[in-house]
Amino acid sequence: MLEPIKNNWRILLLVVVVLGATVALFAPQFGPQTAPGENVSEAQQGVTNLQYGLDLAGGTRVRAPLIGYTATEVDFGGDQPDEVARAVAAELENASARDIGAVPEENAVEVTNPTVTESEFRAAMDASGYAYEDIRSGVTQETRDIAQEVITSKINEAGLSGGSVQQVQSLTGEYFILVEVPGEGREDVIELLEERGTVQIDIAYATENGTAIQEEVLIQDDFEDIGTAAQADRGTGAYVPVTVRNTAPEGEQSPAHSFQQAVADRRFASAYNSNQDQCRYANGSLSGERNPCLLLTVDGEVVNSFGMDAELADSMASGGWATDGGFRLTTSEFSEAEQISINLRAGALPAELDISGQGTSRSISATQGENYKTYSLVTGILAVFAVAGMVFLRYREPAVALPMIVTALAEVYALLGIAALLSYPLELAVIAGFIAVVGTGVDDLVIIADEVMSEGEVNSRKVFNSRFRRAFWVIGAAAATTIIAMSPLMVLSLGDLSGFAIFTILGVLIGVLITRPAYGDILRRLLTIR
Amino acid sequence: MVAIEVPEVNYTEYSNRQLVAIPLAVLVLALAIIGGWFLVTGAPANLGLEFTGGVELRIADDGGDVEQQIETAFDRQPDSVRSIPADDVYVVTFRAADEDPEGLANDLSTQAEEAGLSTNAIDQVSPSFASDTARTAIIGVALAFLGMSVLVFAMFRTFVPSLAVVASAFSDLVVPIAVMNLLGIQMTLGTIAALLMIIGYSVDSDILLNNSVLRRTGEFYESVNRAMRTGVTMTLTSMAAMIVMAIVAALFGVDLLRNIGIILSVGLCADLMNTYLLNVSLLRWYKFEGVKR
Repeated sequence: MLEPIKNNWRILLLVVVVLGATVALFAPQFGPQTAPGENVSEAQQGVTNLQYGLDLAGGTRVRAPLIGYTATEVDFGGDQPDEVARAVAAELENASARDIGAVPEENAVEVTNPTVTESEFRAAMDASGYAYEDIRSGVTQETRDIAQEVITSKINEAGLSGGSVQQVQSLTGEYFILVEVPGEGREDVIELLEERGTVQIDIAYATENGTAIQEEVLIQDDFEDIGTAAQADRGTGAYVPVTVRNTAPEGEQSPAHSFQQAVADRRFASAYNSNQDQCRYANGSLSGERNPCLLLTVDGEVVNSFGMDAELADSMASGGWATDGGFRLTTSEFSEAEQISINLRAGALPAELDISGQGTSRSISATQGENYKTYSLVTGILAVFAVAGMVFLRYREPAVALPMIVTALAEVYALLGIAALLSYPLELAVIAGFIAVVGTGVDDLVIIADEVMSEGEVNSRKVFNSRFRRAFWVIGAAAATTIIAMSPLMVLSLGDLSGFAIFTILGVLIGVLITRPAYGDILRRLLTIR
Repeated sequence: MVAIEVPEVNYTEYSNRQLVAIPLAVLVLALAIIGGWFLVTGAPANLGLEFTGGVELRIADDGGDVEQQIETAFDRQPDSVRSIPADDVYVVTFRAADEDPEGLANDLSTQAEEAGLSTNAIDQVSPSFASDTARTAIIGVALAFLGMSVLVFAMFRTFVPSLAVVASAFSDLVVPIAVMNLLGIQMTLGTIAALLMIIGYSVDSDILLNNSVLRRTGEFYESVNRAMRTGVTMTLTSMAAMIVMAIVAALFGVDLLRNIGIILSVGLCADLMNTYLLNVSLLRWYKFEGVKR
């Protein structure tokens, strides 16, 4: 009973792989991930679970560095990051503390104002008195992470499904932000990247017959500095430190003073006296004790509400707060604080993307993508026919040639299954990889066929096996060289080519481990049965 | 029906020197072309958009005199305008201007729009990014070649046969680059992929030959002919796939696939020559003279 399985396990393995690929390609469970508000059939492109990349579906890809300079290995000398930022900003004419980021985790200080040149920043760092090792172009890891999150949230908010944001590093160590948005034109995507969302802080307060809102107590430009989310010193909470600007043109009130005034007018000081006093705000109205609340509003929607610390409310009421201008937006969860920090910056990337200068972009219309899809299908099919034709011409024996072509096709089919399983988007480069796989695959099958049929009849299993093993040494060696030759492409950032390399290597592996041994078995049955 | 029969070559009629002469002459010629290219243009090949920077637009040919419109639509003279009838588009290329790379793609797409042209695709590559890509590509090819060489030496553990494989792989790489220059094909990322593919593909037949001669029993010429029968079939089937891919992709204007197809076809052609002339003669020398010493 087990004997036939044991004897034909190579063929059975191939059958299992092909069935697995079929499941991955067609079963709805393996369908692409859906964007919010999208059902599975909408996310699916065509009858299969295959995902098509930019080339074949249309869309835009933008790759650009964030503008800025970073001083590395800075000795903070025990100073707080915001002190350092202010000290450096003070040495720069055209930058405020908001343009300077001090990141103690990376021992780095960066400037993100595009008008500041490298030499100006170097001079400012020298003048500020903090020792540093060098100035490099680019921004800190922290800023890149924030930029990535901001862009991701922008793409999601715009309701563009399938968009992706990544950080990629070039060989010279420079970092780029890579944004891909399927189905959108170049101008729309760049507009989205450059557009600033509006973030403001409103105050909700109780009136006799309900809740009133005082809008725009603080707007985005009023912040001198928006910190990153931090864990509270004690307890489980988290917070985002922010500083409100206390400078204004002659004859106008500074944002810090007007904010302080508004908070005092809405009587935060009398409402918040201890930790027990909470802000309760939901769906446009206050509840419970109806204490006044600060509302964080992004693009007209309230995303969070805050009460106020008793001490802070008192210092605002007494009018002493504005000179410092700092306060903390507290939350119970760290992730929430992170989200607020991002929201406060939403629209405003922490540094500018240099799209037109050092950036690259690629945009393909949907019709062009559709055309490419057809063309690559036609090209692939014709290439397979060419290979099949050559094989038939050479062997003229369907028993040898037919399984050869079927096996090579099974290889491509299994690869398509893997692509569907990984949701790897198919690009032109990946298609080229498939065609290369057909080419190498058949090469190796030719080696097996020639080796096995050489030197007379194959009349026993033993003869067959020894010949097959000999053929396999060559195939293994050839596969190893192909894998070695393609592996640099997999890791180097050379655009689409990593897809080409990945699928060529996968194809070679599937070939050596699964399809080519199976072809050997098929051939053995056909040749030794006589 | 015609069957493909791989002819048996009677190597005994030719001396090693005669056999080596042809591939060496071709290699020297190819190196001379590439060297000359470098002296004249400052680069070893015609560098494409990805390596020089610039903007490429695919403009739809929806009837009418699109070519005429393209001539007048842009402030700058396009560096090249190619028509791809099968896809109904014109491919218009602008090299990056050193003086003002800023906002080039935006300007050009607006200008195209104002002239009533519809743009199917825009590619923009900045010059600084392009030079980065070029460096990465060179390193990639060098790494791949080095890795392949180390692996070949590790597998055969004899100097001359391993050197024969590496030498013919080198020639397989150089000849397609020279042919690209002569045909006016630009060096793009696709051609880099094809060059790496050649490193992987072309050593197959060399390994087969070496294996047959060194690791198998039997007389030298018999082993060579056996390896040749298989090797030539392999190379011809791969070439068939690549030539078809090159022709079809060229018709449809899918440059990436076309370039990979052309380069691999030329590389496999060069491989036929290098394997069965250069590699065979080095092996023969090793087998009959080298071993005795």
